[in-house]
Amino acid sequence: MDNNLQQTQPPATQYWKSLEELAGDPAVLAGKQHEFQAGVTDDFDPQAMSGISRRKFLAVLGASAAFTLASCKAYRDQGKIVPYNKKPEEILPGTPNYYASTVTTHGEACSVLIRTREGRPVYLKGNPDHPVTQGKISSHFQASIMALYNPERVASPLKGEGGNFSPATWQEADTEIIAALKALGGKKAALVVNRVMSPTTRQVLDSLMAAYPGTSVYSYTLYNESARDSAWKKTHGGNACPPIKWHEADVVVALESDFLGAEGDIETEMRYAQRRDVMGDKPFNRLYAVEGPMSLTGMNADYRLRLRPDAQFEFAMSLLNEIKGASDAEYSLSSVAKKHGLSESVLKLLVGDLKANKGKALVYAGSRLPEAVHVVANAINDALGSTGLYHTAETPVEHIPAATPEQWDALVSDMKAGNVGVVVHLDSNPVYHFPADLGYAEALGKVGLVVSLTKEHHETAQNSKYVLPIHHDLESWNDYKVRPGIQLLQQPVIQPLHDSRQQEAALLTWIKGDSAAHNEKLYYDYLVGAWKQLHPKLNLLVDFQTFWNSALHDGFVTYSESTPGVGAFKGAALSGLKAIKPGSDMLVVLQRGFNVGDGQFADNGWLQEFPHPVTKVVWDNYAAISPATAKELGLRNDDQVEVTVGDRKVVLPVFIQPGTVDKVIAVELGYGREHAGTIGTKVGVNAGVLRSHKQQDNPWLYAATAVKASGRHHLVTTQTHHDFNIPREQDLHLKRKIIHEASYQEYAKDPNSAAFHGHHLVNITKMREYEGVKWAMAIDANKCTGCGSCVIACNLENNVPIVGPEQVDRGREMQWMRIDRYYSGTADEPVVSQQVMLCQHCDNAPCEVVCPVNATNHSPDGLNQMAYNRCVGTRYCSNNCPYKVRRFNFFDYRDRFAKALYRKDVHQLIHNPEVTVRSRGVMEKCTFCVQRIMYARQEAIKAKRDLKGSDVVVACQEVCPSDAIIFGDANDPESKVSQYRKHVTGYHVLEEFNARPNVTYVATLRNTHA
Amino acid sequence: MKKTVLDYALRVYLPITLLIVLVTYSVTYFASRNERYNIGYQPTQPINFSHELHAGKMGIDCQYCHTGVAKGRQAVIPAANTCMNCHSVARKDKPEIIKLTSFYNEDKPIPWERIHKLPEHVYFNHSVHVNKGLECKECHGQVQNMAKVAQVKSFMMSDCLACHRSAPEKYPHLVNLTGLKKGPENCSACHR
Repeated sequence: MDNNLQQTQPPATQYWKSLEELAGDPAVLAGKQHEFQAGVTDDFDPQAMSGISRRKFLAVLGASAAFTLASCKAYRDQGKIVPYNKKPEEILPGTPNYYASTVTTHGEACSVLIRTREGRPVYLKGNPDHPVTQGKISSHFQASIMALYNPERVASPLKGEGGNFSPATWQEADTEIIAALKALGGKKAALVVNRVMSPTTRQVLDSLMAAYPGTSVYSYTLYNESARDSAWKKTHGGNACPPIKWHEADVVVALESDFLGAEGDIETEMRYAQRRDVMGDKPFNRLYAVEGPMSLTGMNADYRLRLRPDAQFEFAMSLLNEIKGASDAEYSLSSVAKKHGLSESVLKLLVGDLKANKGKALVYAGSRLPEAVHVVANAINDALGSTGLYHTAETPVEHIPAATPEQWDALVSDMKAGNVGVVVHLDSNPVYHFPADLGYAEALGKVGLVVSLTKEHHETAQNSKYVLPIHHDLESWNDYKVRPGIQLLQQPVIQPLHDSRQQEAALLTWIKGDSAAHNEKLYYDYLVGAWKQLHPKLNLLVDFQTFWNSALHDGFVTYSESTPGVGAFKGAALSGLKAIKPGSDMLVVLQRGFNVGDGQFADNGWLQEFPHPVTKVVWDNYAAISPATAKELGLRNDDQVEVTVGDRKVVLPVFIQPGTVDKVIAVELGYGREHAGTIGTKVGVNAGVLRSHKQQDNPWLYAATAVKASGRHHLVTTQTHHDFNIPREQDLHLKRKIIHEASYQEYAKDPNSAAFHGHHLVNITKMREYEGVKWAMAIDANKCTGCGSCVIACNLENNVPIVGPEQVDRGREMQWMRIDRYYSGTADEPVVSQQVMLCQHCDNAPCEVVCPVNATNHSPDGLNQMAYNRCVGTRYCSNNCPYKVRRFNFFDYRDRFAKALYRKDVHQLIHNPEVTVRSRGVMEKCTFCVQRIMYARQEAIKAKRDLKGSDVVVACQEVCPSDAIIFGDANDPESKVSQYRKHVTGYHVLEEFNARPNVTYVATLRNTHA
Repeated sequence: MKKTVLDYALRVYLPITLLIVLVTYSVTYFASRNERYNIGYQPTQPINFSHELHAGKMGIDCQYCHTGVAKGRQAVIPAANTCMNCHSVARKDKPEIIKLTSFYNEDKPIPWERIHKLPEHVYFNHSVHVNKGLECKECHGQVQNMAKVAQVKSFMMSDCLACHRSAPEKYPHLVNLTGLKKGPENCSACHR
């Protein structure tokens, strides 16, 4: 596997359109020099251009054509079939191959299985063998495949002068960089990296530092856990705070923490959802969220309290006193409750739950809170005896500690003083990420040589002399170790598409001091060397080659590694805490970008177009404020507000978000990129400019002033929120029985209390009988957190186009799945319900009976099928669909969106060859991944057995981190999906229409006390 | 009543014209059937490979070269290296084999002319048919007798459906042997 095709062939072209081109056929290469082929106008034959023939009707038409063109050539040219010259053994055209590898984002790594077709990766899924993530994957990792085929990737080295770039060569760049490193003299050189997750990359960085004295590595992650980790160091010792065993926590109090959203990861969601399982034997957990802005965690909470983030210290201190039974006039829960208008009854329940569940109750402070709150939260957990909930076996591994703020200060002042000869950015973008008052961008101007190794052009690259392209994860070799005892391996699954190099190979070339030293296997050999060092340490019975091959096959190796447990709590950490007094002014809360991350996904159309799970806004960020604050500032939705922090200002569009605490402005980071290609440039506003390097103890919360600014900016949402003031609209989803909710406590006592009382439906016609397999789905609303991993997986699997904000605004979004969000209660303290909505594949589908051309009809296995070639685009079906899950192609969006960027050849490689790429004028919708069903059927026929429901795993089900989506055979009484269909909490949306939908929803059970 | 030119045109010219149009149309319609359905299409291949020799006289199994036919959707046209399994030794001096060898040595894929083609919105699957016991000749004809391969059957959707509807009657021996049933007639069986 390690000697696969991609590795042995020299890069013939940048990317390839055909197998001939891949093989370097000189005729094809010569042909590329000319716009037209030789003899293009000879023997022009219009009949040969037609490739369509439609049964009898078109046969008649064809005869007419033959009649008028009687003198033309008789047979249509059927094209050519071009097989491999020397077929790689493992490739069978038309059949997917899977490779285990690793994909990364800034700060995280995920073990994946990559589906490749004829040598090109088309789909990423989680690695099912991985002991922690167990085949699950988040939307960011899935969508990262788009960066591979990004038509705007840096394709070859660039040399820049004041922001203008001209083509350069690797040799030229290498020579100049090596010379500059050799000529450092007393000067310094800096390597600026994102969190280093690879032990072998670290070795390369170490050898570079050894080879060129004066060189140091500066590591950073924008969304870091430095407050949590430094608090942990103070209270329990050790380097980093371990993750939480969410599946063992009975009561969770989240303080300003979005652990189910932007601050969480796959493991968190998986483990949390295990305690929300109606089929499981463990009781539900209970989640209290105490937060300012509305977050995904708050939306999923059983109880939600609104509290200014800067009052969290007070709150946590009072909670600590309450738990300990200490009386403290300054920090008492009742006074804090009064001061901030918190519900005393809920607080009483909260404290009662914490005390009653000692050892299984947890207070979890959010990543954006300052260290002091984390210290207090740790103290509460210690007082509750809940240290057993920390998963010490998974404490994050740091290979290179992040540079401290002081180190950055020192670096920048050295740079300004002209003491830094070379700065190399390894896939990092500090110019965008760092607060402006650090002065990093200006300081770069004083550095002799600035180099950026990057995949895409970005703000830092813009300030560099050399912009050098590096491999995408899917083109790279590497290893990663983010937790003890598991080392992930990364292997390339495609030959480099461009003139890029593996980042580490570029560094090794510089270490060798000779541009000619580079070859494509340079880092591979180094990596194998490093693993040869690892192999004897593991005391395995197998030789190295077997070990290496099996690691490549599995995508990782595991070994036992002891990790320190939770140290004893150091009470001294509590004394001398710097108290944080809540202000009464406006407070800006800088949140992690849910879709765009730290900005690295700004140029990813899929993620930009995924509706934000809270606001459902696409392609933008905004100032989320409470209705009362909006009133106070005289703001409406889409107005602009000017937010000022010290001398830093930003103008943001306003989104009035129910549930936000008053006097708080919540903004997401990662938007407003200046140089992020056609897709990402100037999408949203960069709220990072409000940050100050000087405010390191509390970098995400800023006291601010806000005034209404002139102008309006239209925010595009896929779901307008329901008006709380109109009685007819209020709680419509409950009245219409779109969502069924019940109390978990009642359900635990008597499951029938949660039953859905539908109508007894009688048919006047005979229902169709389904023999054999009948496909059905179940969606467990209790497990679903609303993360949207399913939506991205569906986009990727089914070639769903990106349409852009203007089209979304007209209701023309193309995603086959959506996550509906409903509010109930009041605008200040709404209760949120979420529902994944997709084609329900109704037995009595209303869409089918209105199609004039029978383009949508029913299959014998229960699928509501859509024949694109029959569809004439009347849209009657969509009109008649009660669930509004059908999507019409108003345009050929690949031509229309972003100046046809996604029509470019290299991007076409991303398409799943098993699914039609739909064009203008065609209706489409969820097919229950019929291509996967047909593949499973093929395999069953091959194996001479019957197709079973469990043979098919649909894309959304496959990736769902919380296992909320279940798919299978409704006719098999033993199947999981049948269990859900029979379950007392199972119901169908709008079932009184008698459409007989085949997606069963599990009622939302709220674990409140009543 | 005096006959006008118009009367004359309507009663004489028009029927004659219509008749000519209709006759010509009908003749063309039936005469062009094969061309429309591509039956009899027999292009000249870059290498004059004979199925008659290999599959017929020498009796090489179809799957020796068309390796994908029982495994997946595509039957697969063999790569040049499959040919070279034998022809690196056998008949090296023949002009067609010299052509083949030069393709192979120059690492150039052979641009075979495609004969059987379904529209791109059809996801035909070879393996499900072959694994149910259907022989290649059912669609492709007696390839082992063809020195130069031609299409012999129509590949229209009506032809697919005709067989799907009557498979057990058409191939009764396969019903017990491979559990052959009627083929699916629903859209998603082939279109997605």
